[in-house]
Amino acid sequence: MGQGYCVIGLECLGLDRFRSVRPMPPFGYAWRDPFPHKRGDCIRFTSARGTISAPHVEDQHCLGLESTGRSLKETELVDALTKAEVALDVDGLFGCEPRASTRGGKAVWVMPAGACRSICGCVLHNIWFRIFAEPNNFSLRARLSVGRNERLESVPVVDRDWRQFLARLIERKGGLPHLDEAEHLLNHAIRRKLLSSSQRFVRIGLPRPGGDGQCWLMLDSLFPQPSESWLELL
Amino acid sequence: MAYRWDETKALELVRASVSRELPTNTPIPGDEEDLVKAGLIDSMGWVAILSALEDTARLTNFAAVWPEDRPQSIRALVETLRGAGRRDAEETEEHGESPSPESADAAVAFTGWGFALGSLRVSAEEVDRECGLATHTLRDAAGIESVCRAAGTEDELTLAGSAAEAALNMAGVAPDAVDFVVATSATFLAFPSLSASLHSRLLLPESCGAIDVGGACVGLVHALAIAKGLLHGSQRGVSLVVASEVHSRRLCSSSVPGAFRGLFGDGACAFVLTRRESGSANSFMALGDFVWGCSGSLALSLRLSLADTGGFDVKFRGEQLAAAAVSAIDRILSRLENLSGRTRSEVACFALHEPNPRIIGILAERAGISLSRIPFISRTCGNLGSATCGVSLCTALTRVLTNPGSERPLIFVAAVGPGLLWGGTYLQPASSTVRQESRRENTEGDSADGAAGRS
Repeated sequence: MGQGYCVIGLECLGLDRFRSVRPMPPFGYAWRDPFPHKRGDCIRFTSARGTISAPHVEDQHCLGLESTGRSLKETELVDALTKAEVALDVDGLFGCEPRASTRGGKAVWVMPAGACRSICGCVLHNIWFRIFAEPNNFSLRARLSVGRNERLESVPVVDRDWRQFLARLIERKGGLPHLDEAEHLLNHAIRRKLLSSSQRFVRIGLPRPGGDGQCWLMLDSLFPQPSESWLELL
Repeated sequence: MAYRWDETKALELVRASVSRELPTNTPIPGDEEDLVKAGLIDSMGWVAILSALEDTARLTNFAAVWPEDRPQSIRALVETLRGAGRRDAEETEEHGESPSPESADAAVAFTGWGFALGSLRVSAEEVDRECGLATHTLRDAAGIESVCRAAGTEDELTLAGSAAEAALNMAGVAPDAVDFVVATSATFLAFPSLSASLHSRLLLPESCGAIDVGGACVGLVHALAIAKGLLHGSQRGVSLVVASEVHSRRLCSSSVPGAFRGLFGDGACAFVLTRRESGSANSFMALGDFVWGCSGSLALSLRLSLADTGGFDVKFRGEQLAAAAVSAIDRILSRLENLSGRTRSEVACFALHEPNPRIIGILAERAGISLSRIPFISRTCGNLGSATCGVSLCTALTRVLTNPGSERPLIFVAAVGPGLLWGGTYLQPASSTVRQESRRENTEGDSADGAAGRS
């Protein structure tokens, strides 16, 4: 994942029917700062010509995003997401079977040519977080139980709001030297809050293929979204 | 079990982990070279290396901190690995919570428990109507006031998952610390089995085993015995034992006699068992030994088989079954008295399989047990199959924990099931358990009770 905002939204196709669309900036894949929109905002844009390649069939080139002034609450957003692309099992996420890493890691990937889309939702049953240390930074991974009780191991969490929430949590615990304490809190008090919600839902996405030609599954959106009030509980 | 890594072995392990993440045909870089800055690996590769080292070295929270000035190099990984191994080994030695499998003083402690009941509560009168029984039959003849039923969103897996989460939470155990899960269910008839499904649902680690045991209503006692045996040779000394039953879907056929299916409810229970030093500072209730038996001559009193519809075909002789259950449980209690060296009058709580409250009432009278020492789960929940004595045991453990009236609280567990199988065990504070086991070892062979066995 590069710097910037990878925006993906829903287009209404009719009563209770939605599909994912990814408005693309004129240059590159991600929108740059200043980016005035937030999750749930309703925007409009005019499609422009551009090349689209599998599995990122949701891509729509455009010149800019315009706010409509409307914004969905989280419950409304999740409701709409459950009426867009949703899989009952892991194979259904991208229309092909994810493959295990041949290098020994636990993350899974799909071949770009075999995948029919690059984003899909799924019901979340359980989650366990893992924070890995990097110099002056951290990586957040999640182990998930989704769909028909299937597991996805070591999925990178790229959900911006969850990552920012975790950064604030780490800061409160004393910074990067205290990642293990932050991880404990994330997996206990905060995870309990998350799992007690009736709106447990994930959107799994595929990045652009890397140098190895593989698209590694990532956790694009995790619902419920973290609440600032959860930090006060700690 | 933590391991102290010497330089050569650590270097070998790190190089192997790094080489797997390098692009094909890339030679292993120098030990001091920063793998990320040199563009040899990215963030995905770095995390995969840390995960692989953690798994192979069996470390917890490996590389939780990576200071800004520390390079992401093979040398730095080796030093971090050696430091983490040293720290884990020292922590294990300090806490002494997971003695080596060979330790003679190791006991099996109940460190967490929980249960989940079907969220629908159906009155006895409503069940009478559903089962075509005369009004008040269930209440008057069986002593059942209501039964718990699984809602549409609930099944064996969701109930077991809720119970297990509660038990793990109480024990303060993370999924990664569990060595194996032992599950039992008579109503979960699918593959992957309940234990494997639960393994996925709870996100237990790949190194955690998943074992299913049978026995129907005795299934929980079987599961506890299996767990106790396996714990002595396990790596982290933590096991999860689960029983879960959703009778309302298996017994819903009209071909099942109403007087039988009306008795049952849906629920699950779970226990975290931990290997502990018996002399550790914290007191805990420890699992004792087991008694077993099987009376084939009474097998015809209850027979269940899978019907073409997926439900059960049931043949049962109610009166014969009730009499057999009372006799069998009474016999288990006598054998547990011999095994534990303590009388039933000393028992704080009896966690029994309850075919129905009326049968347990008859048993209590015959066995000379005060009704107040039996949780009577079936009165409001119905017969929960293998989970009945488990939910009862959860209640008993909580009672003992919250009412520390006795210095040596004692719990007897007893269950009977189709076959006619029976099994039982007891729980008491660890020091008492170990002392009793030592005493019995000294007198082994003296007992006239040949059926009393050890797990």
